[in-house]
Amino acid sequence: MSDTSPAKRQETTSPAENAVELIDITKRFGAFVANERVNLRVKRGEIHAIIGENGAGKTTLMNILFGLLQPDEGRIVLNGRETIVTDPATAIDAGLGMVHQHFKLVPSLSVADNVFLGMEIRRNGLIDQAAQIEKTRELSERFGLKVEPQERVSLLSVGIEQRIEILKVLARGARTIILDEPTAVLTPQESRELFQTLRGFVADGMTVIFISHHLEEVMEVSDTVTVLRHGKHVATRPTAELTKDDLVRMMVGRNVSFDRRRRTKTAGEVVLDVKNLWARDERRLPALRDASFTVRAGEIVGIAGVAGNGQTELAEVLAGLRPASHGSAMLKGRDLTALTPAAIRDAGFAHVPGDRMVRGVDGSASISSNLLMGRQFKAPWSRNGVLDWDGVAKQAVEMIKRFDIRARGPEDTVKRLSGGNIQKVVLAREFTNDADFLLIDQPTRGVDIGAQESIHDEIMRQRAAGRAVLVISVQLDELLTLADRILVMFNGRIMGEVEGDSADSERIGMMMAGLNASAASEVAA
Amino acid sequence: MEILDKLLNVALLVATLRTTAPILLVALGGSFTTKAGIFNIGLEGQMLVGAFFAVLGSIWSGSALIGVACGVVAALVFALAFAVLVVSFRANEVVVGLALNILAGGMTISLMKAIFGTRGSIVGQKIVGLPKVQIPGARDLLGSWAPLVSGYTPMVYVAFVAVPFLVLFYKRTRLGLYIRVVGEKPEAAEALGISITRVRYTASLLCGLLAGLAGAHLSLGYITMFTENMSSGRGFMAVAILIFSAGDPLKVLAGCLLFGFADAFSLRLQTFGFPSYLILAVPYLVALVALFALSYRSRPRIIRETLESMKKMLSVETKPAETGNNLPR
Ligand SMILES: Nc1ncnc2c1ncn2[C@@H]1O[C@H](COP(=O)(O)OP(=O)(O)O)[C@@H](O)[C@H]1O
Ligand SMILES: [Mg+2]
Repeated sequence: MSDTSPAKRQETTSPAENAVELIDITKRFGAFVANERVNLRVKRGEIHAIIGENGAGKTTLMNILFGLLQPDEGRIVLNGRETIVTDPATAIDAGLGMVHQHFKLVPSLSVADNVFLGMEIRRNGLIDQAAQIEKTRELSERFGLKVEPQERVSLLSVGIEQRIEILKVLARGARTIILDEPTAVLTPQESRELFQTLRGFVADGMTVIFISHHLEEVMEVSDTVTVLRHGKHVATRPTAELTKDDLVRMMVGRNVSFDRRRRTKTAGEVVLDVKNLWARDERRLPALRDASFTVRAGEIVGIAGVAGNGQTELAEVLAGLRPASHGSAMLKGRDLTALTPAAIRDAGFAHVPGDRMVRGVDGSASISSNLLMGRQFKAPWSRNGVLDWDGVAKQAVEMIKRFDIRARGPEDTVKRLSGGNIQKVVLAREFTNDADFLLIDQPTRGVDIGAQESIHDEIMRQRAAGRAVLVISVQLDELLTLADRILVMFNGRIMGEVEGDSADSERIGMMMAGLNASAASEVAA
Repeated sequence: MEILDKLLNVALLVATLRTTAPILLVALGGSFTTKAGIFNIGLEGQMLVGAFFAVLGSIWSGSALIGVACGVVAALVFALAFAVLVVSFRANEVVVGLALNILAGGMTISLMKAIFGTRGSIVGQKIVGLPKVQIPGARDLLGSWAPLVSGYTPMVYVAFVAVPFLVLFYKRTRLGLYIRVVGEKPEAAEALGISITRVRYTASLLCGLLAGLAGAHLSLGYITMFTENMSSGRGFMAVAILIFSAGDPLKVLAGCLLFGFADAFSLRLQTFGFPSYLILAVPYLVALVALFALSYRSRPRIIRETLESMKKMLSVETKPAETGNNLPR
């Protein structure tokens, strides 16, 4: 923006090789060390990926760089000049920009209003909307980030919201852009577009720091990778010298495999029998159309599909959170569509919701309270109708150990945990209810690789214990790993069914795009 | 037909605009706090102290304008107290609002007793009311329709002119934009360095300003007197309108006009000899029912969720175990 800013001037007179240098950064939260003598050097004009499991300290490190947190030890050098980044304003002045993991857009405002919020262009005391729209359009065209400046943000998809966040950063003159897990919320198509944009930035002489725990995309898009593990710097290498296996080993500290899980056929009696189930979405349009399927004891049935094709509605109807407009869902002879959520749970139904922060946990409560929820009237959590806090604590400690929840203790507040560990809290509660039927919506969304493996282990154990399991996932790989049978949903309908052992991702992909089963096999063949 | 003619004529429209004005003013004031994300049920109290101190100022100074200023200052003091408790000390908005309403009611009664030694109302020659504004040329141009635009007291004009100003304010000024952002997405405001506290204080005080004007209009406008509890629920009606309009100035205007019309209409009905206690309830009922009907689709989440859970409970009790007979519509 301002061509005379000191950072920029120096850049042109004596170009420092590194856009960003973090030297021996240490950050503690109480006794917990989130970053321990971490070093990071980001060359100008590269895409630098930072990878590491959830809780490895990636966000903390970036917050320090951007002035949102102060390091306990260490130095920061920006564009060859040692800088004390006291607040984000300092970082922005030095040409840094950050796109946070959680977007901060105002839904009722237009795209242009959001881009210029906090730095409005004004004329005669009034906001000059025409100028803001024009400037937004200019930026959008120059960087190939397609947006319609006058559209209201509430009408836009997550992918476009992210573009707006990037435009906000660009409008503030950033030359080094930090993106914290930008692809976690995107469809594969949107991710590809984002990568193209990032390459465009680099071609333009800008620098990109990009946090991820998705290995494929790191391999695809980055020039250099830095790996963090448990708050420590493990390695920084050119991406070209590394394989995916190398990255996994560095991230997790051991080998992890994502091959199809071996199994013996154990399918028993029908536990869940869904017949001609229909449901409507918020706009009163049919979102689930005529779904019929069964899930047997000792079997994992997967539901595949691009997000928003009726999977959420299906899960909500089964869990009693959304009325069915037609049809039935019998769980061991009882119709779930006629029961309240509490009665459904009592009927032997466990639910791991797709949005864990909304329906899975109470973020501001402790781990032990969250593990208690829903069974506060049962032993060993309560005795004679009175809560037994010792029992609650003992159960919590046991589950934290069994499910490997990484926390400071049972009284730790849940929202302080990383995504993977929050998910494990939900799993720990739902998997220990002795329910005959488990509905698991997006088992590993936003969960890192090491935790993914252990969650998959746990699901396989439930299968082995004779439970009927329904897994809904937008990640096809996950279903190919776990499911005995895969149902594919498109536009609210079940398009077809595929055996897990002989599943062919191409054919499933066709069905996900709306071809019915027979047509899909013809095209795929 | 004749009866209809008698009921619906220019005079009724004029009466509608007149009765709309005070509730519109106070509701527009509440629009600032609503947009800033504060649920302000203290409007009633702010309006009441506005009305009382306007009369007091008018008697003491002999000037209607100073009277209005006194009313506004009193309402601002209440608004500031509200902001300090709610914004700075994070007290519960409903509790603070109710407490201030009760305080306003009690305070005006006891001050009335202490200063004038009377109960019930302050009347008398010494209260100087606001003059009526005659718009020059209106009579010649509009003939019998002239009263529609000319001859109101100043606050009526202020109220209606404020509507387009507020529309512009929210759309095109920085403060208006920040008020909306703070109400809608405080995290966004914080991330951009906008002070939530400062914006909410400003919104509360702007609200006090308009509520004070509304109060002054009540006691120095068409009637020049103060009676106990003379705001008579207008502040609460304004709150209802604000809930359904989400503070949007044009929707606030529509809601207030509806209320004003029902009010004027019921007064008209009274002259036909219907029992007055029933008639007096009419505007409130009409306004509430209409508001509810109008905004049923976009009803606030709290109401929606309550209705849904009630429906669910009822349907579970009545629904037989084997369903599937109600076809998708
Ligand atoms: N403000 C905080 N207070 C206490 N602990 C925190 C705070 N912020 C992060 N942590 C902890 O620091 C660790 C690293 O977190 P984070 O940097 O967010 O990890 P990542 O982004 O790599 O997933 C986590 O264990 C987290 O619980
Ligand atoms: Mg993170």
